[in-house]
Amino acid sequence: MAAKGLRRANDPPLLILVSLADGPKHGHALAKDIEDFAGVKLGPGALYGAITRLVESGLIEPLGSDDRRRPYRITPPGSAALATALADLRRITKAGLGRLGLDLA
Amino acid sequence: MKPPRLLRWYPRAWRERYGEELLALIQDTLDDGRPTWRLRFGVIWAGLRERGHQARRTMVKRGDAYARWACIFIAGTIIANLPGDFKALPPPTRAWQYTVALWALIAAVVLTCAVVLADGMVAWPALVRFLRTGGWPKVRRRVTWAAAATGLAAGALAAVVLTVRSHPLTRLDTSLTYIVGLLGTAAALTVAVGLWAAAAGATARHLTLTPRVRAAQLVLNSLSWTAMLFLLSANLIWNSATQASVPWLLVGVSLLVLLSITAPRRIRGAVRQGRRVRARAAASRGR
Repeated sequence: MAAKGLRRANDPPLLILVSLADGPKHGHALAKDIEDFAGVKLGPGALYGAITRLVESGLIEPLGSDDRRRPYRITPPGSAALATALADLRRITKAGLGRLGLDLA
Repeated sequence: MKPPRLLRWYPRAWRERYGEELLALIQDTLDDGRPTWRLRFGVIWAGLRERGHQARRTMVKRGDAYARWACIFIAGTIIANLPGDFKALPPPTRAWQYTVALWALIAAVVLTCAVVLADGMVAWPALVRFLRTGGWPKVRRRVTWAAAATGLAAGALAAVVLTVRSHPLTRLDTSLTYIVGLLGTAAALTVAVGLWAAAAGATARHLTLTPRVRAAQLVLNSLSWTAMLFLLSANLIWNSATQASVPWLLVGVSLLVLLSITAPRRIRGAVRQGRRVRARAAASRGR
């Protein structure tokens, strides 16, 4: 299932889904993880804007928490959307590298 | 500007849902430092975008509601006009269009009834359970109002039928009383349909539906909306045949074309939404 907004490799929704793929995280942990694996620094506004859209479309969901730092986890439709988006990116990357005469490592 | 004041740029509903979480994130990001201008502008910009998003969503929702009411009113007007339409004979040159449109109209009526019936039938067991467990008082008032409005609309429609039978159409077409009566009947039908829709919605909120039924209802709702619009366009084309009216024909055909473009998208969206409902339910069962 393709989801709206998962078009570019540095799209906040895509980065959030990738970050949540290995387990639930709250806002600050998400921002740090995304900076570590993608080198993209997401501001609080951009991060929560993307989280709002992802929750609305049912791709991620909040977990119950008494703390202000509420963790989120990826849903099954979210995993499916992420798999589709990553497969698309891999196809594009493979084509691009192939045309440059480079291999996909 | 202190972090809590930055939240003012967001819509109230958003603040209530995500405000505390965003403030916690800002505090974690700042690590006891002061918010930078970059961070402030980022949050303000995101808040304004959120407001824009909410305004667009509200507009679409309202537009959708107005469009539905307009369609119900047009449908009411068409039903109120039916006695006169059946009495009028088509011009001989348009007899084929009259026959084709009449069959299309009958097919649309059957299709709409079947879809609406199926929509109700899938929720039937849940409705029976709800009524058996003492649910009737919770919806009695709404259903009573809808039934009363239906009685009123049926009475008005019967009066139109009797008027059409006892007077020549040429005289009725110029009678202000008859036109006002027709519009009143259309309004009564609109109110009756609207009240039944409200009663059905209120009842549905009390029902415990399985994810499979909810998914089926999402698809059936989109199908019933499509069938109703098909009914509307078939009726407009049929009207154009009885009244030899080119504008009605154009409106009917345009609506049919618009429907053939938008309906598949609407139905596909409902199927996808249904799948999400079932997947979410399956995931929560698995936990």
